[in-house]
Amino acid sequence: MEMIKTVNLHKSFGDLQVLKGVSETIEKGEVVSIIGPSGGGKSTFLRCLNLLEKPESGQIFFEGKEITGKHVDIDLHRQKMGMVFQHFNVFPHLSVAENITMAPMLLKGKTQAEANDMARELLNRVGLIEKYDEMPGKLSGGQKQRLAIVRALAMEPDVMLFDEPTSALDPEMVGEVLDVIKGLVDTGMTSVIVTHEMRFAREVSDRVLFMAEGNILEQAPPADLFDHPNHPRLQDFLSKVL
Amino acid sequence: MLSISGFQKAFEYIDLIKQGMICTLSLSALTVLFGFILALVLAICRLSNFKAAKFLATVYVEVIRATPLLVQLFIVYNILLAGISLPKFRLFGFIRFERFLPGVIALSLNSGAYLSEIIRSGIQSIDGGQTEAARSLGMTQWQNMQLIVLPQAIKNVLPAIANEFVTIIKESSICYTIGVQEIMYGVNSIKGATFSIGEPLIIAAVVYFCLTFPTSKIIAYFERRMSRGDRR
Repeated sequence: MEMIKTVNLHKSFGDLQVLKGVSETIEKGEVVSIIGPSGGGKSTFLRCLNLLEKPESGQIFFEGKEITGKHVDIDLHRQKMGMVFQHFNVFPHLSVAENITMAPMLLKGKTQAEANDMARELLNRVGLIEKYDEMPGKLSGGQKQRLAIVRALAMEPDVMLFDEPTSALDPEMVGEVLDVIKGLVDTGMTSVIVTHEMRFAREVSDRVLFMAEGNILEQAPPADLFDHPNHPRLQDFLSKVL
Repeated sequence: MLSISGFQKAFEYIDLIKQGMICTLSLSALTVLFGFILALVLAICRLSNFKAAKFLATVYVEVIRATPLLVQLFIVYNILLAGISLPKFRLFGFIRFERFLPGVIALSLNSGAYLSEIIRSGIQSIDGGQTEAARSLGMTQWQNMQLIVLPQAIKNVLPAIANEFVTIIKESSICYTIGVQEIMYGVNSIKGATFSIGEPLIIAAVVYFCLTFPTSKIIAYFERRMSRGDRR
């Protein structure tokens, strides 16, 4: 079943064409990694999927419904698309628990007790339960990112979008965040992951997309893509990063 | 010339200064309240994508900032409220409401413009990632503003807001020109009774200092407390 389908997405920033007609389908339960050079359009493509960036033309379908059309309540669709950012973007004025409970209480009508239970369970899962009442300012980068992940999970999304989730982390904290993401994809969560962690992409993905120059130049299961790259642009890229 | 006996005489009328103090504080507190509400609306209008609201709010702020408060006060009192007969009663048994209200309106309209610039800069100081995170969870633009951006923005600009409150306490003295019985009005009354202006002026200066100095210190204290433990 199709989870997300894009048709011929175009997006420019000023004169710079970032997406040049991207068409792609993400199936339910699929884990898709997007790799490629900076400025190739990976993050822009991901951010278009929940319309944080508005494409100039093209269509996006989420669970069969077009979300790029007029009169679409994008806020409702976003509730089902969790997103994790490079710079965590945890809410510094709210406690760790409140970061998690706010959206479900506000948007899904959860009671305080239900939301608190959920926050405890989620924090337990990512090893942050002892930080329940702390303010995020006291957390390390890796802890902030784990909090950001469970904050998104608290909305019980159907798909998770990861925008370079480990790029802003100190090297020794990358592992703990990747472990959490791995644990999540193992539960069958549909995920789209923009990443520079090639080994991780190879390990968790069902499919890897190589994006450069505003389009998907090659895609394949990870073993094929990494071991037998066809496109010269991909061969060049892999020779530099592997 | 100042003299001990002059002060003694002035102190016989100290109740006028006390009343003035109550009036000045009421005037300033109401101004901060209404000015703050107006400022929020103006700041949000100026940052909105709605062109007309943006334009009107910008014009309003620029006009207020480019004209003297005294002129604004007189316009409110003599033109804006000229045709309206305000109820004549006395707040706390002495403040004439029909003079007090125009004072509150003029000061609020004025400080709203200045406060809106402060709040706007506060909103703009919040990282765009906060809004993206809130929107990605499904929050509406308004929920994001109300629950994520504004609480952080206002905390960031609290010192500037406190400063504005102190400024209002001082600038409210201008309301004596339309007969609001604040501290300067008390000074004038004492002058009329004792034929001496120096001593009541000195008393007024001391009273103003005693109102504003602790206010800024108290707010600085709360600011330190609030920022504790949540550095990013």
